[in-house]
Amino acid sequence: MNLIVSKDRIFTKDLNTSEKREWNPFHSKVAAGIKKGIIPELKEDFNVLYLGAAEGYTISFISDLITNGQVIGIDVSAYSMQKLVLLSEDRKNLIPILGDCNKPDEYLEIINEKVDYIIQDIAQKNQIEILKKNSDLFLKNNGYVLLSLKLSAISQKHNSIIDKELREFEKSFKIIKKRRLEPFEKKHILILGQKK
Amino acid sequence: MINKNKILELTKANIKKKLETTDQKIINMSLIIQKLPSNINELYEELRIITDQEYPSLDKYLTIKEYCEFYSSGTIKESKDIKKILDSDIGIKLSKSLKKITTDLSKNILDLIKTKENLEEEIDHLTKKNYINLYTLATPKIAYKMLEIAGSFERLARFPASTVQLLGSEKSFFKALKQNKKTPKYGVIYNHPLLVNLSNKNKAKMARSLAAKISLGVKVDLEGKDISKFLEDKIKLKISELK
Repeated sequence: MNLIVSKDRIFTKDLNTSEKREWNPFHSKVAAGIKKGIIPELKEDFNVLYLGAAEGYTISFISDLITNGQVIGIDVSAYSMQKLVLLSEDRKNLIPILGDCNKPDEYLEIINEKVDYIIQDIAQKNQIEILKKNSDLFLKNNGYVLLSLKLSAISQKHNSIIDKELREFEKSFKIIKKRRLEPFEKKHILILGQKK
Repeated sequence: MINKNKILELTKANIKKKLETTDQKIINMSLIIQKLPSNINELYEELRIITDQEYPSLDKYLTIKEYCEFYSSGTIKESKDIKKILDSDIGIKLSKSLKKITTDLSKNILDLIKTKENLEEEIDHLTKKNYINLYTLATPKIAYKMLEIAGSFERLARFPASTVQLLGSEKSFFKALKQNKKTPKYGVIYNHPLLVNLSNKNKAKMARSLAAKISLGVKVDLEGKDISKFLEDKIKLKISELK
């Protein structure tokens, strides 16, 4: 693995130059999860689907970790997709797609293979529903899922809805680990799961 | 493994298609126009820190644009009253180096004001050309806000009239639904010039019929026809019946 975790900082080896690059947990929820003890079980030959790639801070580190696989980044916004396209010209294994994660039929024809891993970072009311739609179509059996659940996007009374949302999640996935990301990100839960 | 080159070309084409639509241009321009006045006011206050030493009472008689024009050129064109005020004002004379700074700063503010005016002209022209019904029925400022909240023109055209009436009041609307209280009656439509002078009871009634006409007009805009006069007459007739 290209992941290096020292006492108080996280690094990855760069894909092209193989230099150390720092991964800031205050900017990325996956890095915050590593700080909190959730090691994403990414192997070098995995194919990854990233929903909500935005401008590509986190996805650049994911593409460092999977040297033999491919990572597909999807986002709705055309402006952030411009930056992602520029980033993908440097990185061989990064594929940008403009599409709405709520309507996976839009990019069903483009992705013709199933993936091993789905990472989702979308602030919407139906976050878990979006994950289910995409995992039914694109995820292999026993594939992994890493979901960052933004509670304040679902309801203002975020403490009372946690159990309900987790029950929804457990209908189609098995929870391996879950943590709150409190010092790094407010009102977020990161969940690592496996498809049943 | 997926072939990357094909997909890359496809996404590039899709991005271009999405950015070239006129409604996205209008939304971006209106976002810039909303932010510019605060920038202008901040710079103006910093200018006043220096210039208030010279003429402390000058800003009462001039607008921001006239004030900056005075300091960038150093002369006043019209009205002798201001010259009298300048002569009788208490203050010190500024040094040459400070005067140069004030001219530069006021020129910058004038540039910002000019860009704002140019943007307003351009956005006006674009909306009038493409969405004439929305422009005349909802008045420009409200039209831009509706577009901004809806995200795109097609999405706005698919909204029913009741959604158009409540655009902008989503927070209080969903809060009321959860607590089983009364839902709000209007969103951004509240500031419409036709509704301002009405009483509270009539305001809600008119907001409903105005929103119905706006959503009708938007749907016709998709075909490019102009029925704004017909709809406007109907609204005015309804208002005259209320009184």
